[in-house]
Amino acid sequence: MTVEPLVRATELTKRFGPVTALDGMTVDIPPGRTGLVGENGAGKTTFFRLLLGLGRPTSGRLEVGGRAVDQDPIGVRSTIGYMPEHDCLPLDQTAADVVATFAELGGLPPRAARQRASDVLDLVGLDEARFRPIAGFSTGMRQRTKLAQALVADPQLLLLDEPTAGLDPTGREEMLALVERVGTFGISVLLATHLLDDVQQVCDNVVMIDGGALVVAGATEGLVQRTGMVMVDVGDRAPELVAVLMALGMNAAVVDSTVEVTVATEGDVDAIRDAIADLGLPLHRLSNRFRSLDDVFLTAARRS
Amino acid sequence: MTASGAVYDRGYRPYDGPRGGRGAARLALFRVSLRRALGLRRPWRQKVAPFLLLGIAVIPAVVNVGIGYVTRDRPPVGFEFITYRDYVVVSSSLFLLFVALTGPDVLCPDRRNRVLPLVFARPLTGADYVAAKLGAIAAIVFAFGVIPQIVLFGGQMLVGNHALDYLRDHAAVLWQVPAAVALVAVYYAAIVLAISSLTPRRIVAAAVFIGLMLATATVAGVLVGDTKLHRGSAAGLIDLAGLPLHLRDLLFLGHLDPAGPLSGVAAGGLFAVIAYAAVLSVALAVLFVRYRWEDR
Repeated sequence: MTVEPLVRATELTKRFGPVTALDGMTVDIPPGRTGLVGENGAGKTTFFRLLLGLGRPTSGRLEVGGRAVDQDPIGVRSTIGYMPEHDCLPLDQTAADVVATFAELGGLPPRAARQRASDVLDLVGLDEARFRPIAGFSTGMRQRTKLAQALVADPQLLLLDEPTAGLDPTGREEMLALVERVGTFGISVLLATHLLDDVQQVCDNVVMIDGGALVVAGATEGLVQRTGMVMVDVGDRAPELVAVLMALGMNAAVVDSTVEVTVATEGDVDAIRDAIADLGLPLHRLSNRFRSLDDVFLTAARRS
Repeated sequence: MTASGAVYDRGYRPYDGPRGGRGAARLALFRVSLRRALGLRRPWRQKVAPFLLLGIAVIPAVVNVGIGYVTRDRPPVGFEFITYRDYVVVSSSLFLLFVALTGPDVLCPDRRNRVLPLVFARPLTGADYVAAKLGAIAAIVFAFGVIPQIVLFGGQMLVGNHALDYLRDHAAVLWQVPAAVALVAVYYAAIVLAISSLTPRRIVAAAVFIGLMLATATVAGVLVGDTKLHRGSAAGLIDLAGLPLHLRDLLFLGHLDPAGPLSGVAAGGLFAVIAYAAVLSVALAVLFVRYRWEDR
């Protein structure tokens, strides 16, 4: 069964004078959690602005939920929640007031807006702090408030721009857990980040862009698939194992004190096991080597 | 017996209630701005200025009604402590102070705290934003201008022996007052918001607004001179704060004030209307350009 894309960009180009922010990008983004990965200045925020109808593409077409953004920007915007990267909260107001206000701006009646604000602040873990002015909030609490205001009008699509920026490791883990959880509520998430680990941790799909051009897009699982190599950790006697495997005609090398071996068949793995046994080596680990998103990005960027 | 408890994760509930569109968002922004300007849901200090000004604005009406009550059996012929037309001037002086305090407060923090990207990610346009903010300030100024006049009208009507006669004799003010106050309210609100849109700092916006009003009034006063001694001059149009009061005179009197700064100026009324429209247009243009959010 073919899943209709939630976001469809066709030959999308955006230029600011001589600078090309997006360069003929064509990509279909399915519902679910998708990571939009690229270095700073790669065009992630420009893509978000175009999705929100806050800018017009120089050429090309952009659709959200089957609706062309340039033809119905207000309608599209009413289905999107947006969490910017930078500080954007009125510091002299309470989290409850801010989130309720943005619920009202999303079209909810005042009473429902306050109720939703309370519920969503509870969801992001700010139930007890919601009546405190935001000026007294930590970075993590402010990020949660930003997430709450993006969520409060019950969007179909959530645009998160670097949601873990400035967070300590615990805060980052908590934020990623929240993002992952939001995805289970039937809300699609587009997570812009330059941190591939974040994407690998919570996203089902990845769109990688570099210099405004699409590098690679696809399911995270597919991109980080097996590389046809196994990694063997036999402690400090790795060179002995490499020598035996090379003698057997296999391609093996020591990388970071681990033996990496190219395997073609299950028989090759058996041969490795037997070689370790024959040499009497301690086997600490034997596992498939998966590509990381970093590998994928670097390889694809180099190729493009 | 032992008590037992449980912690429930309420999870996430999708919203399936009524949802408004652009109009609802604009109205919401209007309400939020109104609350902020009046200091509602804010510390008590923020409530002092607006309600103190409203209290001061009502004093002349209360005094006038009080005099009317005391002298109800022997009403002084030809004496009025304050007229409806004069009241617009009294109110407009307070409006200047009020809009200088509240106008920057409803606009500058949005830019200073970088809230605008969040606002424009909602189903709103720049024009909606301007309309909501302008509408909020103008609505409060209008209310603060009309409430004292309602007190005055109602009081005068009730303290006299012939309420219906008073109503019939003064029926014209029932449209003149709201129209004149509306002209003043929209004008001052547009100017203060236009200035506020150019800076993220409230104090700078307030100072520039008050400074502009005082400076233009002073320059106009010097150039026009004493209108009791000679005719007025078109230089009176320079006085930005006084400009809507010429329109008030046109509404109440049907012509300009014979003792005003434009007295004796050929087609002075027409010039006043054109100058008013021009200033208002420039202020609105500044606002719409500053909040045209697409492609910025």
